Amino acid sequence: MDAGRLSRIAAVAANTHREAVRERVLYNLVFFAIVMILSGLLLGQLSIRQDEKIIKDIGLAAMDVFGTLIGVFLGVSLMSKEIERRSLYPLLAKPLSREEFLAGKFLGLSFTLFVNVSVMAAGLYATLLATGRGADPALLKAVLPIYQGLVLVVAIAVLFSTVTSSALAAVGTVCVVVAGRYSDVVRNMRDVVPDAPTWLIEGLYYAMPNFRNFDFKNRVVYGDPVGWNDIGFVTVYWLLYLALTLGAAAAAFRSRDFH
Amino acid sequence: MRRRTPWLLLLLLPLIAGVQRELDARLGRYRATEEALFVWSGTAVRRMAPGLENVMADLYWLRTVQYFGGQRAFDRDKRFDLLEPLIEITTTLDPRFELAYRYGAIFLAEPWPQGAGQAEAALRLLEKGAREMPQSWRIRWDAGYFRHLFMDDPAGGARILLEAAEIPEAPYWLRTLAAAMKSKAPGERGFARQLWQQIHDEAEAAPIRRNARLHLDYLDAADRRDALQALVDRFHEAQGRWPRSLAEVVRDRALLTDAAGVAWDYDATTGRVRIARLSPLWRLDRWKAL
Repeated sequence: MDAGRLSRIAAVAANTHREAVRERVLYNLVFFAIVMILSGLLLGQLSIRQDEKIIKDIGLAAMDVFGTLIGVFLGVSLMSKEIERRSLYPLLAKPLSREEFLAGKFLGLSFTLFVNVSVMAAGLYATLLATGRGADPALLKAVLPIYQGLVLVVAIAVLFSTVTSSALAAVGTVCVVVAGRYSDVVRNMRDVVPDAPTWLIEGLYYAMPNFRNFDFKNRVVYGDPVGWNDIGFVTVYWLLYLALTLGAAAAAFRSRDFH
Repeated sequence: MRRRTPWLLLLLLPLIAGVQRELDARLGRYRATEEALFVWSGTAVRRMAPGLENVMADLYWLRTVQYFGGQRAFDRDKRFDLLEPLIEITTTLDPRFELAYRYGAIFLAEPWPQGAGQAEAALRLLEKGAREMPQSWRIRWDAGYFRHLFMDDPAGGARILLEAAEIPEAPYWLRTLAAAMKSKAPGERGFARQLWQQIHDEAEAAPIRRNARLHLDYLDAADRRDALQALVDRFHEAQGRWPRSLAEVVRDRALLTDAAGVAWDYDATTGRVRIARLSPLWRLDRWKAL
């Protein structure tokens, strides 16, 4: 990849990040996530000797849930806005390919998510330290896969916003994310519907993004060993799925007629 | 008028506080809320929140604690109808929530009105915990203890404690507890004696050895007391009255004292033979909970 192309992608990414941090909704979501993480302080007190577990559970769940909301919101709004407001047209008239624009948008959004997740993780560590608990570095083994899952959410949101309106893209993204969280239900569907064809179940199971893969919260909170091998395989899955989603988004974006 | 509006609004605040005070006085400061459980199955709740099972378990556990505390402290009728389903949902959402099993069992087993008075439900919960967490000796410890304390089954309790003692990292005192529990079970003293003898012989620390010796003495005393009680009962059957003193039924003076050398506490009006309060063995006889 030549330096010019890289600098164009970096410029779009930097602008996307700048645009994202101006969104008020983003701050509201991060604020609520931090409040929820801090609420672990209070809830832990009510729980009878389970404060550390509850603080970690709530902190990681807040990161996951609010991160997903931020991912859907940013992924859909920032991409669709460019198309619906037609601010995309002058950009594409410049020496900037559609793929470069898409890659820049995606990287900018991913970086914004990285900052948000870092802030939330810092909030979780601060809460743990405030209660006299150690800053457990193993928590990062849950935070990293959560971040990977959120980036995948953004990629799916970007894919949908390249092919449809912002409202439909938001609905589509939420549906795919929820379905991906129920992937184990899909896999065990034959227990409920014994006549369902295997090829259909397996096809659905492998085609949908499996968001359960990114869920190490339980294992980390209970101090179970989480090997880097496992995280490595999850990362490979993540990269492959990102390549598929962004490839499809690029193809759709390339073939879309904006006139 | 526009300038006065904020001041007028401020005046509303004390008015609201006054009405609230009146409502508190009429309805009570702590008003019991109508408790309802819309979803009764942990599996159903699990299905609703994929990936968030643990945090849902935490929330259900907090609700369980609040519900139990609320019923115990404020409710006049003290019904604990939702306690078992709430704990069931919590432990289904997070099957490794050890404290939910342990404290949940206490909430369930404690006799009404301190708790729900549902000892069988408490044991079911602990059995579920033991299935889900086979490496947790603490849950089995509780199960053994509860079986003895609430179900009056010391032999069953001791059996569970011995199972717990087999778990890696389980403390050695589970065996001593099992032995002590066995001492309480009729017909189990021989086994208890074996266990205490083994503890006595293997213990390196003097206090543990002394404690085992005390329990062995207690077992001897319990045997001797039961034998004396049988003699007293037989005397009552034959003579139609209770003996005036134990010397009336026992010739051997050595049998008139327990293994610690303290005379028995004999009640000539009821014919009951007991270990005397002065005896160091009395504590073990009285200590049902061990």
